[in-house]
Amino acid sequence: MKSILCVLLLCCSVIFAAQAQETNEAALKTWDKIYHVFSHPRCANCHVPDDNLPRWSGPSYAKTSVHGMNITGGQSRIGVETIMCSTCHAQSNADEPHGPPGAPIWMLAPVDMLWWQQSSSQICQQIKDPNRNGGRTLDEVAHHILEDELVHWGWAPGIGREPAPYSAEETADFVTLWAKAGAPCPQ
Amino acid sequence: MQLNVNGKQHEVDVEETMPLLWVLRDELAITGPKFGCGIAMCGACTVHINGMPARSCSIPVGQVSGQVTTIEGLGTPYAMHVVQAAWVEHQVAQCGYCQPGQIMSAAALLQVNPNPDDEAIDRALSANLCRCGTYPRIRAAVKTAAAKIRESNL
Repeated sequence: MKSILCVLLLCCSVIFAAQAQETNEAALKTWDKIYHVFSHPRCANCHVPDDNLPRWSGPSYAKTSVHGMNITGGQSRIGVETIMCSTCHAQSNADEPHGPPGAPIWMLAPVDMLWWQQSSSQICQQIKDPNRNGGRTLDEVAHHILEDELVHWGWAPGIGREPAPYSAEETADFVTLWAKAGAPCPQ
Repeated sequence: MQLNVNGKQHEVDVEETMPLLWVLRDELAITGPKFGCGIAMCGACTVHINGMPARSCSIPVGQVSGQVTTIEGLGTPYAMHVVQAAWVEHQVAQCGYCQPGQIMSAAALLQVNPNPDDEAIDRALSANLCRCGTYPRIRAAVKTAAAKIRESNL
């Protein structure tokens, strides 16, 4: 009788371990989709380091560079020290080709939320860390993606710019799904 | 639609998507702000909206709320703004086309930084292009205006 119970327990452990591995792999695949969004130029170009220089990169640009015209977001990350982002970036996208994109607010992301040229693992660790994600739980991160107008701009960037992949709703769903699966990060 | 420009209230009958520059120049005959590139990359159309610089060629008039100030409202030939006076002192303008935008951007910079160094001036004004290349005189005039502002604040 004892040996039958032992065999049963062993089988269950193997099954649970296999299921856990499967769940982990599925969650990592979901994270890959999130990383695909976060590392896209529409997002990463403004999630820049403390040089405070917005980037121009991606298929809309011939080569990767810092923002033209010697622009800096400054420590304020909205350009108040020299020239405000809102000087050129209106509340909506310009209709003209190569015209400035716009949203109700236009600014660089906080320095802690660095995504520019960061690996999947680095962004994964950052987005889970309340000290570096604006004090948010992952549910709140998902809500932020659903609600923030500047985040939404990434999927409606105006003529001549490739939008971020998926949609705001899909990306928020990916975050929720990934969080429920334990929010694993790639090595 | 109501629009306040240089302290005067105007009633304009235009589409909300019309660029502010079009309204100023074509509807109100305020021609100080100039058309350059039409995509906010040259700065010739710069005005102030509630004291902050804005490229009027790229801002739909429907998004404007508050006071619009153009070069005409910054000062007059008989009562020049300190930046305009510095521009005259240094004889900055050559052809002059870009200068209203240059002056409006410089005035906005000096509101937030009354003692800008070369880097701050270059950062703030590099998006105002001058095909005549008056940049050295622009930089000198900004410093003169800044000194006068600091003196007046003593």
